[in-house]
Amino acid sequence: MELIYRTKSGHLDTSLALVEVWLGLVYSDFFRCDPKNGEWVDRDRIFLSEGHACPIQYMVNAELGYYPKEELFATNRRPDSNFQGHTVRNLKYGFENSNGSLGIGLWQAYGAALELKSKVFCIVGDGEMQEPSSLGLLAAPHNLKPCGNFILIVNNNGLAQDASVDIGPLSIAGKAWGWHVIEADGHDWKSVDDAYQQAVSIIDKSKMIIFKTVKGKGGDPAKAGKLGSHGKPPGNETELAAYIKGLESERK
Amino acid sequence: METFGSQSLREAFGEGLVDLGNRYDDLRVLDAGTKNSTMSEGFQQSFPSRFYTVGINEPGMIGIATGLAMTGKRVVACDMSIFLQHAHAHMLTAARQKKGLHLVIAASHTGVAVGPDGGSAHDVTDIARMRLIPDFKVISPWDPAHVKRILEVVMEEPGYYYIRLNRPKVPIFLKTPVSFEIGKAYRLKSGSQITIVASGDKVWTALQVAEELGEGIADVIGIASFEPFDRETIVASAARTGRVVTIEDHLSQGGLYEAVAGVLAEEYPTRMKKLAVPRQFTTSGEPDELARLYEIDKTALLETCKRFIG
Repeated sequence: MELIYRTKSGHLDTSLALVEVWLGLVYSDFFRCDPKNGEWVDRDRIFLSEGHACPIQYMVNAELGYYPKEELFATNRRPDSNFQGHTVRNLKYGFENSNGSLGIGLWQAYGAALELKSKVFCIVGDGEMQEPSSLGLLAAPHNLKPCGNFILIVNNNGLAQDASVDIGPLSIAGKAWGWHVIEADGHDWKSVDDAYQQAVSIIDKSKMIIFKTVKGKGGDPAKAGKLGSHGKPPGNETELAAYIKGLESERK
Repeated sequence: METFGSQSLREAFGEGLVDLGNRYDDLRVLDAGTKNSTMSEGFQQSFPSRFYTVGINEPGMIGIATGLAMTGKRVVACDMSIFLQHAHAHMLTAARQKKGLHLVIAASHTGVAVGPDGGSAHDVTDIARMRLIPDFKVISPWDPAHVKRILEVVMEEPGYYYIRLNRPKVPIFLKTPVSFEIGKAYRLKSGSQITIVASGDKVWTALQVAEELGEGIADVIGIASFEPFDRETIVASAARTGRVVTIEDHLSQGGLYEAVAGVLAEEYPTRMKKLAVPRQFTTSGEPDELARLYEIDKTALLETCKRFIG
């Protein structure tokens, strides 16, 4: 919250929806990475396809020890910084892919998974699943081949930039195309962990976890889950205080 | 002028790929439903476990190719050029991954040389599109021997490469071993009256016209490397002749003409003429017939040069 408030731009609402999903993954008992050696060949990979969620990625990787938090706060969204407005691939910092338009990163992740033995996770937005290129990935296990080390994580917060999003029969369509589909509550630690444990235990199918989340969860309760806050940082100290108060009440 | 038989650029590409497959175990090849058009099927037959039949899904193919390259593999993704338009954002995002990736995109069926399949199959804007993506090296080989040499060169260093192939058989006029350097233009004939700058298989057309014009008349500059572009060779030739004609099987917009004109406007303003596909939807016809119709053939070039010299 402070990072985005100080930067005066960035996607706080999307990042807040992913807190438990992201932390539940990197602190799980199976996830393997080495913040001192980002290029470690056998590391598990996290591709971020919905690139506007990069603030949570930047904060988590700082926490994991890839780089000092001070560097992030000093240079976020500045020219030539390692922390661009959308992620730029930088293995030393634990960033597997540079973002592009929506519907692209998930294909890159699938391609990487086809050649790797380690696990490849890819985070997409529910709005991103409207892209024909994203929907096309549903057919990849059938048209190409299933990828037992690939886990697609859908952030289903129900809101895109300008409208609400209904993922419709995504779960049914996924199953029909050969995916193992898991649906879980993306803000309940146990539910998140159970979903990941189930996903990694299945090795003969491509996996998709649809996490039900709330956009802006744990921030200003007046804004959480409502349209109109996409990419809008807290505008002043009072608004920031409302976000922090919301966060503190979540903790209780 | 001596030739050594004929072959299409895509057939040379298919043979070249198999040679590379023998040399590089980490080479992966993908095709989006056109392997018997791009001729990548030869690679599949020789190395089935290293070939991906992606299906008719160009964005997916480029995305997967990028992902394979992210694991440290050498990757060649092939398709008929016009279909790659679907994948432009994916190609842009590929190059955005920055250094270290080794990704080659090869497009067959470029220009009106595609012929009877008609305008919807003629890709006459590919060079322009690929020049717009930072970090892509954009290469348009002249003949089959050139294709094979270029394939060897692009395997040497990681980077992003685009190679423009085409469909019909063309004469092999380069003697092996072929010398090729990325970023270099080649002066293939020297003359003092006029400069002809040509790319792709139009280099052969330019050489024939230069011969008909007679000894010492035309300076012929062959361009394979569009990005990076050899400014010095163009400027030096324009300074010698004072007249520059370009010929390409592509629109002038974003193509050879604008590349050359851009350099000369900055460094040595020179009168120019262009032979390029007009900005209109093209028609069906045999390749030779279409080259005549759009005035990018030998006759049109010869007449343009003669009128220009006066």
